[in-house]
Amino acid sequence: MTAPILDVRAISIAFGGLKAVTDFSLSLPAGALQGLIGPNGAGKTTVFNLLTGVYRPQTGEIHLDGRRVDGLKPNRIAAAGLARTFQNIRLFGDLTVLDNVRVACHVRAETGLAAAIFRTRAHYGEEAAIRERALSLLEIFGLSHRAGEYARNLPYGDQRRLEIARALATGPKVLLLDEPAAGMNPQEKRALADLIALVRRQFGLTVLLIEHDMGLVMNICEAITVIDHGVTIARGTPAEVQADPAVIEAYLGAPDEPPPASAPAPAPDSAKADP
Amino acid sequence: MTKLLQTLFDGLAVGSLYALIALGYTMVYGILQFINFAHSDVFMTGAWVAYVVAATAGWAALGGDAPPLYAGLFTLFASMLFCAILGFGIERLAYRPLRKAPRLNVLITAIGISLFLENIGQRPELFGTQPQKMPQLLPDTTLFTIADVNFRVVDLTVIAVALVLMAVLQWLVFHTRLGRAMRAVSHNFSVASLMGINVDAVISFTFVVGSAMAAAAGFLYVMKYPGALKQPADSTWILLGLKCFVAAVIGGIGNVRGAMLGGVLIGLMEMFGAAYLSPHMRDIYVFSLLIIVLLVRPAGLLGRATVEKV
Repeated sequence: MTAPILDVRAISIAFGGLKAVTDFSLSLPAGALQGLIGPNGAGKTTVFNLLTGVYRPQTGEIHLDGRRVDGLKPNRIAAAGLARTFQNIRLFGDLTVLDNVRVACHVRAETGLAAAIFRTRAHYGEEAAIRERALSLLEIFGLSHRAGEYARNLPYGDQRRLEIARALATGPKVLLLDEPAAGMNPQEKRALADLIALVRRQFGLTVLLIEHDMGLVMNICEAITVIDHGVTIARGTPAEVQADPAVIEAYLGAPDEPPPASAPAPAPDSAKADP
Repeated sequence: MTKLLQTLFDGLAVGSLYALIALGYTMVYGILQFINFAHSDVFMTGAWVAYVVAATAGWAALGGDAPPLYAGLFTLFASMLFCAILGFGIERLAYRPLRKAPRLNVLITAIGISLFLENIGQRPELFGTQPQKMPQLLPDTTLFTIADVNFRVVDLTVIAVALVLMAVLQWLVFHTRLGRAMRAVSHNFSVASLMGINVDAVISFTFVVGSAMAAAAGFLYVMKYPGALKQPADSTWILLGLKCFVAAVIGGIGNVRGAMLGGVLIGLMEMFGAAYLSPHMRDIYVFSLLIIVLLVRPAGLLGRATVEKV
């Protein structure tokens, strides 16, 4: 077995007395598509914030493609190849769709400020390449016709896709998707699942997905980690996790009741404030 | 008619000066959401450095002859360079350590920096406590006269330099990679950081540019009013800074084009009020305009009113 591309070793963080995430470990082989699920407030988004450098883990280590990245600033981690989307859409609303993607391309740019000011040939060549790359990403996500619009004016579904396009523009090895299907209807969710599969193949990505829609998670993820109150309570294939009594208890809080026929019920409120 | 045109011209000259300073306020506010109270002191420092450079170079001692053309340019660049470094230092040493602190702490720090600059500027080895007269670097002549309106070289220079700098800034913010990053950072700097943008570098750069603009304004100010180089802690500087802050608010704080518009409006308002109503109440016109604009458009003329989604 090859070395994992993302290796998370027992990271923890506490906010005051609240242990938000405790000893979270995860090993993502290159090319994997895994899910991270858990009830509301379980600490899923906190895990993403720890991985991307928004929070600094108080214990543990994070290795990305063999390089230790915990404690680095978010932009350095992004440069190392970790990109994310947000549960609540956080596009640059005052920038155009194209600029949202282009600005994320900068991290892979070679020429610096001096080149920009003195307008060197290399700078212009690179600007053209960035534009090209941004446009082709928009093409994949079916957003080309909206390139010149302000991101804030896009319909909801387009904004969700633009977030993924923007994350891909940073040229990641690992992509973290935080509830990409939130607020989508069943058709849009299917289209999204296809899109995730497509970009994963095309860009050779490893994907970690937080999602409340159990149907989506169970369908596309190869392995699932379940956390509750910041603690990992189960890990395995979708079928294993579904049958796990601890998972059912975490979701339904009723140890004596019979497990649901197909899947644990998704938590109803998707617009909650997960720290 | 002549009076009208002359006032219009004077208003534009003063207004473009205000616009240059207002840009610094608005850029910092746009990115960090705090009011950099030390900005008016960077402007003051720019004016004084221009004086020190010109006086040290001895261009004033040339007598009645006009100093060489490069004298003005050299002084302008020296002053801009000095203040760019100063702005970088202020952000790096005073504001960056407080990046995650509550906004009020940063605000108080800014006031502290402002007092610090004013008082250290009075040191005898720096600018001293006496007002000075700026050596004349530009010929004090009227370039041409149209319909009895005098277009003085100084005023034309002020407008031209301000226009060039604003054009450069406009290009920088809206047509370069760095400007794109600045706009992204100003929209949301934590997300920008997650998208791989070096937020610290962008913020430093913003301070460098804003301070250089303020220095240019300081230089132009002492060119236009050579006798008005008041001592560093004089309230003139604070009042000028305040007016430019008002200009930024009127245009819509955080909006680069708004600051330019606001500056020019304030300049026109002040000059027209002084010419047609009473020259003793210039400041009243400026602040009345602020009140009216805030009543009609609370987000400023070019500001976008945001409605919180619930």
